[in-house]
Amino acid sequence: MDTLLNAEEREFAQQMRQFYRTEIPEELRFKVATGQELTKDDMVTSQRILNQHGYAVPNWPVEWGGQDWTPVQRHIWLEEMQLACVPQPLPFNVSMVGPVIATFGSQEIKERFLPATANIDIWWSQGFSEPNAGSDLASLKTTAVRDGDKYIVNGQKTWTTLGQYGDWIFNLVRTDSTVKKQAGISFLLIDMKSPGVTVRPIQLIDGGHEVNEVFFDNVEVPVENLVGEENKGWTYAKFLLGNERTGIARIGSSKVNLARAKAYAAVTKTARGTLLDDPLFSARLTRIEAELTALEMTQLRILSTQAAGSDKPDPRSSVLKLKGSQLQEDISELLVDVLGPQGLDFVSDRVQGEGLSDLPLGAVDALPAYFNTRKVTIYGGSSEVQRGIISKALLGL
Amino acid sequence: MDLELNDIQQELASTLSKYLRSEYDTAKREEILRSDEGISREHWQQFAEMGLVGLAVPENYGGAGMTFNEVAVVAEAFGRSLVLEPFLATAVLGANAIVLGGSEEQKQEILPGVCEGQTFLALAAFEPNSRYALESPETSATSAAGGSVTITGEKNSVLGGDVADHFIVTAVENGELGLFLVAADATGVTRAAHRQADGLGSASVKFDNAPAQRLGGGDAREVLAEVIDTGNAAIIAEAVGAMEASLTMTAEYLKTREQFGAPIGANQALQHRASDLYAELEYARSMALYSRLAVTSEAAGAEKDRHRDVIASKIVIDQSARNISQESIQMHGGIGMTMEYPIGHYAKRLTVMTRTFDDADSLTAELAEIGGLIEPQAADLN
Ligand SMILES: Cc1cc2nc3c(=O)[nH]c(=O)nc-3n(C[C@H](O)[C@H](O)[C@H](O)COP(=O)(O)OP(=O)(O)OC[C@H]3O[C@@H](n4cnc5c(N)ncnc54)[C@H](O)[C@@H]3O)c2cc1C
Repeated sequence: MDTLLNAEEREFAQQMRQFYRTEIPEELRFKVATGQELTKDDMVTSQRILNQHGYAVPNWPVEWGGQDWTPVQRHIWLEEMQLACVPQPLPFNVSMVGPVIATFGSQEIKERFLPATANIDIWWSQGFSEPNAGSDLASLKTTAVRDGDKYIVNGQKTWTTLGQYGDWIFNLVRTDSTVKKQAGISFLLIDMKSPGVTVRPIQLIDGGHEVNEVFFDNVEVPVENLVGEENKGWTYAKFLLGNERTGIARIGSSKVNLARAKAYAAVTKTARGTLLDDPLFSARLTRIEAELTALEMTQLRILSTQAAGSDKPDPRSSVLKLKGSQLQEDISELLVDVLGPQGLDFVSDRVQGEGLSDLPLGAVDALPAYFNTRKVTIYGGSSEVQRGIISKALLGL
Repeated sequence: MDLELNDIQQELASTLSKYLRSEYDTAKREEILRSDEGISREHWQQFAEMGLVGLAVPENYGGAGMTFNEVAVVAEAFGRSLVLEPFLATAVLGANAIVLGGSEEQKQEILPGVCEGQTFLALAAFEPNSRYALESPETSATSAAGGSVTITGEKNSVLGGDVADHFIVTAVENGELGLFLVAADATGVTRAAHRQADGLGSASVKFDNAPAQRLGGGDAREVLAEVIDTGNAAIIAEAVGAMEASLTMTAEYLKTREQFGAPIGANQALQHRASDLYAELEYARSMALYSRLAVTSEAAGAEKDRHRDVIASKIVIDQSARNISQESIQMHGGIGMTMEYPIGHYAKRLTVMTRTFDDADSLTAELAEIGGLIEPQAADLN
């Protein structure tokens, strides 16, 4: 990418590179580089360091800690962060609820929440999906009924990522059921410690606990926790989902994962040498590398037209989501295939003890990551939803 | 040409399906999955009493004296119900190795216990540096005067090795590959039990001058090749069962899950993809038949083609299994990724099965190396 940047941008990239590698603890970056699970503390530590230096929320307005950066600079910030294996700031805070509050919230609500959100003093969860409102999010049924100076919330959210750590949850709730479904939705902030909120774990096939169900049973929520106007929640949600889509290609992370697969393949013996010399494996790897480059160039092309003025969400970002998520899945599969027969067990440690040799690099995380990565074509607007957007908005079908 | 199951096989298939539907449903399986050992010894006992464990073992060693045709019927049914007990490890790989390679004495000693469901076997062939190549293990065998043998080396990915009573171990002595029997409780044997992603048990096993017996006296290379080919044919049958269940379940989900006021299956985008999966399943069924015929053929010269035909089948199965497992999850959305819902369990089993003895790349390379399936013809341009 460096050759495409102008002198200032290159200088900026250099500065970010330097910053990430000197300020973020090596131990945290090593965990990301080797596919280890991050603890809540790891994520909080990383985000707080970033925030101290003004690098947690560059996409926010300057007065709330943002940076007056070009889209290209923002891209560099994220790409270099991923390349340096820095635990990323919590998306629920920095790319989802933060921008919504900053754009649509009252002054009080901004003051109350934005600094704490940037510094992850509040851990946010996203309460959008429900058992029967997935792709068709607008059909959500969780209700908030006004009762004096509070709302009474009843219903259920699901797939709440890291809800077990959540302090607050930003919910889409139905405040009017007499109108068209999109027109009766509001955006409400709920303290997860409120009486009547119950969080239940969902076990996923990767063996981990990443998502939850969240139940609301007559939960009282002060009306001042409403963001913006009542029944305008769908507009805010669309704004939020549009923001979510641009960072979702995860090109830097894909490069790191691909580099990892390549390095492991180079030390994996086969009957004829190493796996990296294997013509079929290396052909597959090489094709993915070429495709990843195409994805990156597509992202840069989209960015450069945005830099030229247009600030509207670009439907071409659906291409980034569609292709970027597929590539993440392909790369996760490649890593599984590097491990071969030794990658099929679910183990918590490479060390087997009892005089047995250590399991190969990647043995702990490759297969769980393969199963976990199935999510990237499902959430944030599934691949099918992205194709729908492309066919309507870009092809006019 | 008769490609259908005969009456006895159909009877076996339907009896077993009925049994599994009532005794091995999702809830019962879940309980087994969460148990310490990860298998049900009671179920195994039942399978033995039904004659399934010794299905292809000759009757004089306590088996049912049937063929791989019947084994494939069982494997397919087990695939549909995602049976966790070590059928492949014990009844296919282990029993076959002993039937094909063991001496009369060894057969007498071990097979009756296997058929009765008392003894578990495991083939220990993969090593930390072997990847999928089995021909030249680093594990060594040393014979001493008086005929005793010891084994030294390390094996991994030993399917069913967590519960095995006997290991059948590949090792080299004087530059020659051999198969050896080692009791799991022998001195010098250490194992680390693992669970595969699909819940089946496996182990890494270290042999440190462990006392062993050479398995029979024949050509170990040939025995191993046939054991692996038959094992692969069983995996293929099992995969077909698992794929069929996945696709049935996915089609059902497309009909019942509603979004945007209609079943998601009303979208042609999903209908067409499900149809592609159906076509892949038909391919898989065909190649399961092809591989079954390959390992059961008694025609002259059939052995030469056996390996080629099994790996050709497996290449197709790997492709179908990959697509069906990935697409089934995708078309289910989030629910497809949960432990609570069966579709992800099928995906896990299929993902592991396609990488157990080989993977799509290793097979493709091998098939190409042995010249593929079709003889080249010089084009006659005159
Ligand atoms: C690991 C994980 C984490 C998540 N984290 C969060 C979170 O923190 N907060 C939150 O609110 N949500 C979260 N989600 C939910 C996610 O946004 C939904 O899973 C997603 O919207 C899809 O909904 P669904 O799972 O109900 O699938 P469904 O909408 O039921 O879709 C099932 C299948 O049908 C397809 N489909 C649906 N409609 C159409 C159509 N019209 N045309 C063609 N195909 C169609 C879908 O693409 C999918 O393949 C998470 C999901 C996962 C898997």
